[in-house]
Amino acid sequence: MALTQALTIGIDIGGTKVAAGVVDPEGNILDRLRRDTPTKDPKETEDAIAEIVRDLESRHDVIAVGIGAAGFVDGTRSSVLFAPHLAWRHEPLRDAVERRLGLPVVVENDANAAAWSEWRFGGGQGESHLVCVTLGTGIGGAILNDGSLQRGKFGIAGEFGHMQVVPGGHRCECGNRGCWEQYASGNALTREARELALSGSPVAHNLLRAAEGDPRQINGPMVTELAKDGDPVAVELLEDVGRWLGIGLANLAAALDPGTFVIGGGVSDAGELLLAPAREAFKRTLTGRGFRPEARIVRAVLGPEAGMVGAADLAREEATWLRRVRVKTTAVTAKTAAARNRTTRLERAARKSAGRRTGMRAATPEADLHHADLNGEPEA
Amino acid sequence: MGLTIGIDVGGTKIAAGLVGPDGTIGARTHRDTPANSVDETAAAICDAAAELIAGHEVQAVGIGAAGFVSADRSTVLFAPNLAWRDEPLGARVAETLKIPVVVENDANAAAWGEFAFGAAKDVEHMVCITVGTGIGGGVVIDGELLRGEHGVGAELGHMRVVPGGHRCGCGARGCWEQYASGRALVREGRAQAESGSLAAAQMLSVCGITDPAELTGPMITEAAAAGDPCAVELLDDLGRWLGEGLASIVTLFDPSVVVIGGGVSAAKELLLKSAQVAFERNLPAKANRPHPSFGLAELGNDAGLIGAADLARRPVTAARA
Repeated sequence: MALTQALTIGIDIGGTKVAAGVVDPEGNILDRLRRDTPTKDPKETEDAIAEIVRDLESRHDVIAVGIGAAGFVDGTRSSVLFAPHLAWRHEPLRDAVERRLGLPVVVENDANAAAWSEWRFGGGQGESHLVCVTLGTGIGGAILNDGSLQRGKFGIAGEFGHMQVVPGGHRCECGNRGCWEQYASGNALTREARELALSGSPVAHNLLRAAEGDPRQINGPMVTELAKDGDPVAVELLEDVGRWLGIGLANLAAALDPGTFVIGGGVSDAGELLLAPAREAFKRTLTGRGFRPEARIVRAVLGPEAGMVGAADLAREEATWLRRVRVKTTAVTAKTAAARNRTTRLERAARKSAGRRTGMRAATPEADLHHADLNGEPEA
Repeated sequence: MGLTIGIDVGGTKIAAGLVGPDGTIGARTHRDTPANSVDETAAAICDAAAELIAGHEVQAVGIGAAGFVSADRSTVLFAPNLAWRDEPLGARVAETLKIPVVVENDANAAAWGEFAFGAAKDVEHMVCITVGTGIGGGVVIDGELLRGEHGVGAELGHMRVVPGGHRCGCGARGCWEQYASGRALVREGRAQAESGSLAAAQMLSVCGITDPAELTGPMITEAAAAGDPCAVELLDDLGRWLGEGLASIVTLFDPSVVVIGGGVSAAKELLLKSAQVAFERNLPAKANRPHPSFGLAELGNDAGLIGAADLARRPVTAARA
């Protein structure tokens, strides 16, 4: 099969859930799996990844695996330097998983993966200077210049969420105070909503009722739902988050001057309730406004699966590159030599892995298709 | 030969030099900047360049100018200190001199100078700030100068660091350059002197002045170098703002090296030490990530000129007349 038509697997590893899918070259998801993230032990996470891939592989021919992970991924896209919600510390994830699966693996920061898919298939298509901001629990970021992800020297560029926007502001888990993600993320929305409810303010009536009287039950989607129904306080809460979003985007525009900002992540479900105040604050705080062209601010179109699709597509690129190095490259550089060694190791691992799987299938065909640990039913 | 001309257009002076491919400056000349007239400024630039071109084989001219320069590196969209508004400077100068001309933001040009021949010559990823009256920024990613979609990227001095903070000339409040530039240094020094502080009075006498309004940045730096405690503190505070701001910027670009240049960097260790402490202290997730190195610029006032000249040598896209 031509590589350009081949399927790949994308795996999005979040703090609580692992979401995986089989993705075709047009970014369509053909099959899905979800399960809880084993957060304690790096080995368990690897096990989970291997199980998921074997399960999906039993139904589809795939050529590579892309893993999107929340955390610092090194410049060679092979190790996770640090992940705030997982046990990874300088974890050589790529090689470990490649050894087990015999498939080429790419590890990428989750926000980078999501941005990649927005550029390939979503709201950022055709943009030469694209900046993506993913508003989830925290804030993820990515910079794409002429279709190339900017990773920086150590692989950890684009961590916009930790720009300081308020000196001595809210404490952040990164160790600082006043980080942007303490003001413009899902966490910030929830914190503000809970604080309002806890203050006993009568304006929080609807919010409290939605949370069955317990302020601690209030969450971001709840606020968004209420705002969509026109609850004035929920609208205000999103306005405040939107304003902080716009202020931070103005900083990013000063530094990066993109043509378009794509805003994704769970909080962006609020749509214009969030983006309209963001645009207003952006226009109001942008440096040199009136004397310079301004970036567009649009919503991401791919939804929560952007990271999975992006990781899968990056895996396809990597597999294609490895193939090209093996078949065509004549000039041997350190990079191509490493790629050839990697290909050889992969082929060896693939043979071993195939043997293991054939044996396993013969013994327990049913268990292979519906592994006990997996919630294998595809989602709608 | 491969000679190009670099021209640094400042608010008061136009400095020009003939630069070789290794970044060395041969001949130099300068003109006063006729700040209020667009035509006269262009004429002065052409005049200075023509003087250097005479008798040499010159490939191209690079002009570094404070302001927003369009993505095609030809038009100055807006300049804060000069009368340029959508000024086709590159085309104008190219027409007069009959030679390719590239226009670049002055801080970008200075950053490129440091990247090509100075403090960052051995790396591929750099953030450079030029701390003068304001703060200029230049960013190199994978060996390429960051310009952005419209050419106006890397305006790092206008990132907001204090909500509702000091008013900035750009129209916003709380911009970084209101806290970490030469202007901020002087403002704080004068404010302290006007508050009647004894330490500040002592600083004024070290500087040999009595009126706080006469205080300048270089005076403060000199007093600090002589050990005056008030001046040392002022530079210390400035360094802290610098370091904190740079920590945020490093989260965006993840460079190998951070370079600090511009007039205020003449304070050297007096500024750099507190900047570095604040930087290391404020780098997000600092225990779990590699840290970039941190250093002073090496080319001094010539960085912009050398950088502009070298950029003129690189492929020109649309900047021809």
